Formats: sequence, structure tokens, C-alpha cells
Amino acid sequence: MILQQIINGISIGAVYALIAVGYSLVYSVLNFSNFAQGEILMIGAYIGFFALTLLNLPFSIAIAIAMIGAGIVAILLEKIGYRPLRLRSSPLLYFMISAMGLSIFLQNFTIVTIGPNFRTYPPDVIDTKPFSIGGVYIGRLDLMIFAITVISLMLLTWFIYQTKQGTAIRAASYNMRVASLMGINPDWIVSIVFFLAGATAGVGGMLFGMKYTVYPWMGILTIKAFIAAVVGGLGSLPGAVAGAFILGITETFVAAYVSSAFRDLFSFALMILIIVIRPGGLMGVVTQEKA
Amino acid sequence: MSTYLQGILILAGINLIAVLGLSLLTGFTGSFCFGQAGFLAVGAYVSTLITMKFNMPFPISLVTGMMAAGLISILLGYPTLKLKGDYFAIATLGFSEAIRLVIENLDKITGGARGIPSIPTRTTLPLVILIAFIATVCIRFYVISKHGRNSIAVREDETAAQSIGINTFRYKQISFFINCLLAGLAGGLLAHYVGFIQPAMFGIIKSTELIVMVIFGGMHSVTGAALAAVILTALPEILRAAAAWRLVAYGAVVVFIMVVRPEGLLGSWELSWTSLRILWASLKPSLPQKR
Amino acid sequence: MENAILNITNLSKYFGGVKAVDDFSLSLTEGSIQAIIGPNGAGKTTIFNLITGLYKPTTGEIFFHNHKIDSIDTFRIAEMGIARTFQNIRLFPELSVLDNVRTACHSKANYSILEGLIPTRRRIQQEKQLTEYAMGLLRLVKLDNRADDYASNLSYGHRRRLEIARAMAIEPQLLLLDEPAAGMNPDETQKLMEFIAEIREKFNLTILLIEHHMEVVMGLAYYITVIDFGKTIANGTPDEIQSNPVVIAAYLGVGE
Repeated sequence: MILQQIINGISIGAVYALIAVGYSLVYSVLNFSNFAQGEILMIGAYIGFFALTLLNLPFSIAIAIAMIGAGIVAILLEKIGYRPLRLRSSPLLYFMISAMGLSIFLQNFTIVTIGPNFRTYPPDVIDTKPFSIGGVYIGRLDLMIFAITVISLMLLTWFIYQTKQGTAIRAASYNMRVASLMGINPDWIVSIVFFLAGATAGVGGMLFGMKYTVYPWMGILTIKAFIAAVVGGLGSLPGAVAGAFILGITETFVAAYVSSAFRDLFSFALMILIIVIRPGGLMGVVTQEKA
Repeated sequence: MSTYLQGILILAGINLIAVLGLSLLTGFTGSFCFGQAGFLAVGAYVSTLITMKFNMPFPISLVTGMMAAGLISILLGYPTLKLKGDYFAIATLGFSEAIRLVIENLDKITGGARGIPSIPTRTTLPLVILIAFIATVCIRFYVISKHGRNSIAVREDETAAQSIGINTFRYKQISFFINCLLAGLAGGLLAHYVGFIQPAMFGIIKSTELIVMVIFGGMHSVTGAALAAVILTALPEILRAAAAWRLVAYGAVVVFIMVVRPEGLLGSWELSWTSLRILWASLKPSLPQKR
Repeated sequence: MENAILNITNLSKYFGGVKAVDDFSLSLTEGSIQAIIGPNGAGKTTIFNLITGLYKPTTGEIFFHNHKIDSIDTFRIAEMGIARTFQNIRLFPELSVLDNVRTACHSKANYSILEGLIPTRRRIQQEKQLTEYAMGLLRLVKLDNRADDYASNLSYGHRRRLEIARAMAIEPQLLLLDEPAAGMNPDETQKLMEFIAEIREKFNLTILLIEHHMEVVMGLAYYITVIDFGKTIANGTPDEIQSNPVVIAAYLGVGE
């Protein structure tokens, strides 16, 4: 029924929001789409999985490890694949290709080392008795996903708007060159940005893994993140969140009332529609190159 | 010649044709196309249906397949090529995923996920060699023409190109169209060689293989792209055992190339009479000169 | 104004809260050389970007030969006869010096895409004409001996000259030069001034110049507009501007 679908939609929308916000954050500062964001999500999911199953850690610690681990991986990816290009002022095309290379490497490395099987998170990690509110059942997992997402986004917002580093990031997103002239170290800013993007993706990955499954090519979710970010306006953080929930809810309805195969088709069509009608997304960001 | 060797050469030739388009679009014009396999799928399925359901001769099926892919390029390119490269890259990736979904779901026509078997084998080695050769020569002529120069200008600096009167949008459209014609052609040849087609054949792995070939040899060289296509088709056959690690290696090498030598292994070197003479001259420095 | 090849009225460009250009107006007489000067960040390059269509104005209009151009695509504006150079020189680094100029020689070759794939006699002939024309321009800027070098291998001064040659290749009537003398020593600056005067004469150009080197501005310009923080603070002949206290204050700061 409808309310259940809305809840499902919000749930997946929350995961999309975590990835999309990281995507838009990197885009706003570096002006490029980190296509390898999906693989960071995948790594977060696996780290969380092994923290729970191999190390038998409690949930809160596992998710913290997933978050930090994914953030560190993100910083490493930046140092290896993007920093040399940035220092050389390489064209956007090279960044995209490097992102693709990192993505292929991580995906297939995981397949070869850990194995291509789907993994499910242990079902008893959290008490799954559904809540009942006014006769409607809300799964504890969905509630938790939503809560964790909200907390993460609030932390992120606090960091970006209330701390010195966050202000530096915002300055850099307007104009990196000028920001560096003001004494802000661009390398440091970029590392922080990637850590934040990686951390949110890591959390998103673990949550997705808990609700669904974990597999090496989970990174394909990066397309959904891009669509969500585009719907909201590439580079806008609130836009990414809004776009993510809109995408999550609408595609859940399509999956429920049309067919699940149509869901991805719908998302793709939605993206093309936005690009045609309002390429700047909900927040109306600039989409052209400027002199 | 053994059928095994013939098979490798035919596949190499088909990949070469698909890679030529990608070399022009991504290498020379700078528009990153992430979803080449989707256009091969269009060519493969359309040409197969024309051959089998309408009993048309092979050339007509091939050309129809090409036209179908070309039409897709016009529809897909119009909204996306006007914007920054990220949009186009994701749109092509999204399209290749979407087209697979469409194919899987129109199973009355396309045989769904199981595909279409018993396609009459019409592709022969001489035919592939001929088409590959003509295509290589034509693209090479294009690249040294004024249109080729303009496309390179678009890649190098879009703003500057516009300022000297180059319609950058139009040139991107043209390169995309040519790319899709060639991809459609390759798809048609593939279908009528292998004898059956399935959506799984046209997934991200195929797109990845093709773009990797361009990166290895052909970002700035048409003949480099052709050589890379042949070598990277034959190599996996030789290195059968390491199949799983192949993609891991590709990912790592792609990043390495972007960081160290983005022009690819051959840079801007092209196979031509002049370059062959220079190569020949440098290889025999110690032979006595004729008097 | 009659004979005004370029007419800009009440041009403004706002980026969010920032007024990059504020109520700018200019009337450019055909065949003249005019300069726009002002402190860094005053909005001068933004004006060039507005004229060439890279930005759309927030308010105001731009007329070229009485044709409204402020909502036209950049490449069409170039076709109509406005060429420009960039403050930080935007050449095509992976193309040769010759090719950099050839990419701009549209009037010399109009063969089709199909002929690009399959050469015809017409294409071969047109390419020859195009190359001769491009070489002629390279001779003009004394870079013909470097025709086959990569553009990225040229020295700074040579890259400037190449960019001007490329701009000339589209046979413009109006040439916008963005700080052409940047980074040049007095000797090079002198040569540049002579060169600009020469091409203005030879090709019947109208030139709009952004420049910081005052000798270039005072030596070449018939009329100068001074802007600061996006607003016009003065305009007049070189003599008038030189003695204008508002201009001096803007450049040197008041009462520091």
C-alpha cells in the first residue's frame, strides 16, 4: 500500500542522499564527477560486513569503521588518481577516465580477491520488530536508515557551515584559486572533501548492504547518485539531498505499480527529462563552461 | 588459417571498427563516452531482426542497424552534448544500461535475457578486414581534414574554439553520430558472426574493454586505436589463465596512463608512409649507405 | 552614433550578489582603437565575455553593426566578425602552430563532412588555399619558421603572437585584445604597439583593447574608458584621462 511504498522510497532515497551529497560535494569544489564514488560505497559496505561477521563488532562500531575506512580509501584514491592530474591542470576528460580506471580496478580487485558472491548482512544485527504507528508498520531497519542518514547529513551540514574547515571548503567551491591565495591549502581542502564524501558513501554502502545485499558491482549506484544530484542541481548539497529523496520515492512507486525493471528505465528517463527541461536542476545551478 | 585464428581476427576487426568511432569521439573530440556497448547492442539487435524477421540481405540489415544507432545518437546527443562532459558520460552509461533493460523486457521481439539464437552467419574475415581497413582510412582522412582539426580544437579548448567560429556543439554531434554509425556496424557484424546475441554481451564489461583500447593506443592516434584494438583482443586469448585479473590490470593501467602518459602508448604517432620511412631509417643505422 | 561598429548600452552582469559589470555603456567608432582600463578585477574581461557571447547580460544590450548580439551564440558572433584574444592565452596545445591558425580559416574551405571522410579534389584544393592563407598570417607575426612545432613549445611572447594570428584568421572587423602586452618587456611592448597599429591599418580593423601597460594605452588609443568595480568612472581621450583625479585615485588608492 501507498504508505509502505513511501517508506521504502524514503529508505532508498536516504541511501541515495548519502552518496549524492558526497558526489555533489566533490563536484562543487573540484568541478568534476567522481565516478568512482560508487566503489567507495561498495568498500564501505564490505568493511561494515566484515566488521560485523569476522570481527563480531557491535553495530555502532562497525558503522564507524565503515565510515572512517571508506573515507580513508577516498583520500587514497584522490592522491593516486586525481591529485597528479589536478597539479598538472589536466582537462576534465582525463579526470573522468582516471575515475573510470579506479572504478574498474576496485570492482574487479574485489571480485578477484573477496569473490563475486552476494553477501547478506547478518539479519540479527538489529532488532527487526517493526514499529507500529497508527496501524502502519514501519520496519526498524528503515527507521534506522533514515535516522542515521539524517544524523550524518546534520553532522555534515554543521561541519560545512559552522567550522573553519567547512568555511574553507565553501570558499574553495566558489573559487579554488582565490581561496588558495587567502592562505587555504588546496591539497588539504581536497583531502577533507574526499574524506567527507567517502565517509558518507561508506555509511550509505553499509546501510544499503543491510537493507539489500553486498556485491562487488554495487558501484553502479553511482548512476543513481548522479541522477539525484542532477535532479537537485549538480554541485548543490541541499539539491543532492532533495533530488535523492525525490528519486527514491518516485522510482519506488514505479517499481511497485509498473514493474521493477521499469524502475531503472524510469530513473534514466527522469534524468534525460531534467537535462532537457531544466539542466540546472531544482536549485538551478550553472551547467555551462565559462571563460 | 585455422578457424580459431580466423575467429580472433574477426573479433579484433569488429572491435577495431567500434574503437575507431570511440577514438574519434573521446580521443579526438574529447567527449567521454562511457556506454559504447549500448550502441553496439542497437546495431546488433536491429540488424538481426531485419535479417531474420524481414529476410533482408545482409548489407541492408547492416546499414539499418547503423542508421538505428545513428538515430539514437541524435536523440541522446541533442540534450546532453550542450552541457558539461559529465552529463554526456553518464547519459551514455545510463543509456547502455537502459537499452539492456528494454531488450530484456521486450522479450517477444528480442528474446529477452536469453537472446536470439541461430542468426545466419554472414560475417566473413575478408569482409571484416575490408570494412575495418576502409573505416580506418576514412577516419584517418577525417582527422587530418579541417573537420578533424576543428574537433581537436573542441577537445583542446572549447571556449577558444567557439571564439574562432567553431560550432562546438555541432562537431560533438557529428563525432557522436559517426561513432554510433561505426558502433552499430560493429554490432551488426558481431551478431552475424557469433550467431547469437544476448543483452549480457553488451554490458559494462564490453564498454570498458572498448574504451580501454582507445586509452591504450588511440587518444591522439587513429592507427594507435586500431593497433590497440587488435592487440587487446588477441592478448586475453593468449593470457586465458589470468582472465579474472585482466580487468584489474586494465583499471590499474588506465589510471597509470592518465597520470603518466595520457596520450596513450603511441601518443600522436600515426602509421603513414612518412612514419614508416622514419621508423625504417632509425632501425638500420649501421648498414652501409649505398653509393 | 553613426559609424559606430559596436554599441553597448547599460550593460550589467550580476553573478548572484556580485555586480561584475554595472551599467556599462560604450560606443565604438569604426576604424578606431579604444581602450578599457581599470584595476584588476574591475570587470574588464567580463565585458569581453559579454560581447563575445560567453556570458549573457543581466541587463543591457549590445549591438554590432546595429545588429543585436547579446543573445547570440559565441561562434556566430565570431562568424559575424568579432575576434578576441584571451588574458591567459588560450591556444590549442596539442596542435601545431600552423594548425592553430588553420582551425580559424573558415572562409578558405567549406567542404562537407563527407568530404572529410573521403577526400575529393575540391577538398585538396581548398586545403592548399587554406594552408597558404594560414602561412601568410604566420609570416605576418614572424612565426612561419615554427609552423610545425607544437603550440605548447613556444615561448610566452610567441604564443601571444600566435593567438593574435589565429584571431586574425577569421577575418574580423572588430578585434578584442585582452592584455596583449602582459608579461612583455619594454622592447617587446614597443614592437607590439607598432604591430597593432600596422594591422589596424592594413586590415581596416576596429580594435578594443584591455591593457595595463599605460604606454600602450596612451600610445594607441583614441578614446579610453576607465572602470572600477564594474562601473564606468571616467572616459575621454588619453590626455583627459591622464589628468583625471578620479582615475588617479582609483589606481593609486585615496589617502593611504
